[in-house]
Amino acid sequence: MTVRITVKNIAANATMRMEVEPQETMADVIQCAAEYWSKDSGAYILKKGKTMLRGDRTAEETGLVNDDVLELIPDPEGGGNGTA
Amino acid sequence: MRIRPSDRDRFDRMRRVEWMDMESVQLRRCLMVGAGALGNEVLKCLVLSGFRDITVVDMDEIVPSNLSRCLFFREEDVGRAPKAQVLAERASSLDSAVTIRPVVSRIQDAEDWDFDIVLGCLDNISARLHVNSHARYHGAPYVDGATDGLSGKVHTVLRDGPCLQCAMNRSHMKVLERRYTCTGREATLYSRPLAAEITTTSVVAAMEVREALKIASGREDLCVREVMYYDGMSGSIEKVELDVDPGCPNHGDREAIA
Repeated sequence: MTVRITVKNIAANATMRMEVEPQETMADVIQCAAEYWSKDSGAYILKKGKTMLRGDRTAEETGLVNDDVLELIPDPEGGGNGTA
Repeated sequence: MRIRPSDRDRFDRMRRVEWMDMESVQLRRCLMVGAGALGNEVLKCLVLSGFRDITVVDMDEIVPSNLSRCLFFREEDVGRAPKAQVLAERASSLDSAVTIRPVVSRIQDAEDWDFDIVLGCLDNISARLHVNSHARYHGAPYVDGATDGLSGKVHTVLRDGPCLQCAMNRSHMKVLERRYTCTGREATLYSRPLAAEITTTSVVAAMEVREALKIASGREDLCVREVMYYDGMSGSIEKVELDVDPGCPNHGDREAIA
């Protein structure tokens, strides 16, 4: 059954509502949210509460239910000098 | 000037930290991968903390844009010598007892993985995955740091915990794919430099070395098991729980991986 969730964009302090099908993965949610906010094609993680959600898990496997709030966080890649 | 007995020992104040084992710290062999912004800060903290056997791997040369974040680089170093070499020279002056070996190479070409602790100071996913899998295979704990502007992350990979690859998803793989041509060869494409500044770099580096000190003191039980996300704007650190991915290739039997 489709669930309606909220995704928070931590970097932009914004939220969006999203309908997710049971077979859609957390990677699908990340991609959809990143496209919605027209974000750079960088790396992101998705978390629910204090737990990071695995990208290959479906909404059903993750146990998403209506009104769940997920957080989209940019995953930093830098640290050298951008030339390696 | 009279010097009190407690001031004659360089590490007297560190020995007063209850769990710190300075003798063990001084014996550990460290590999630090990356001699850029994080590498400068991490190496400073490693040497001042008493680590005495450090290998630094980096293939790059110093450019002017490095100078706003790299404690050990000077204007006259631009174009003079590789980063790893300059860093080893300068950081060695902090403590005459330390040995710092510079290796001017890509980490993908390194063959020696006989280390007790590996510290990542990298700026790309490809190199991180390489270090992650090799450190894990060779049984060395791996402390990885990353920054982006005022945000940062530290992930300590222990023998019984999730690794960097366990935390990755399709968005990481897309970033990784951009580094490769359609033939699978690594491509040198222009990519926009990431935002970076020294205060966030310093915080993340300090967090990395603190985890390394716990490991070197034989207190892995004190290490932060979650992935630490630092937000420099709010000054907050959030710990995000992560499990081992049962499908991650780094968590099978060691012989099977080989």
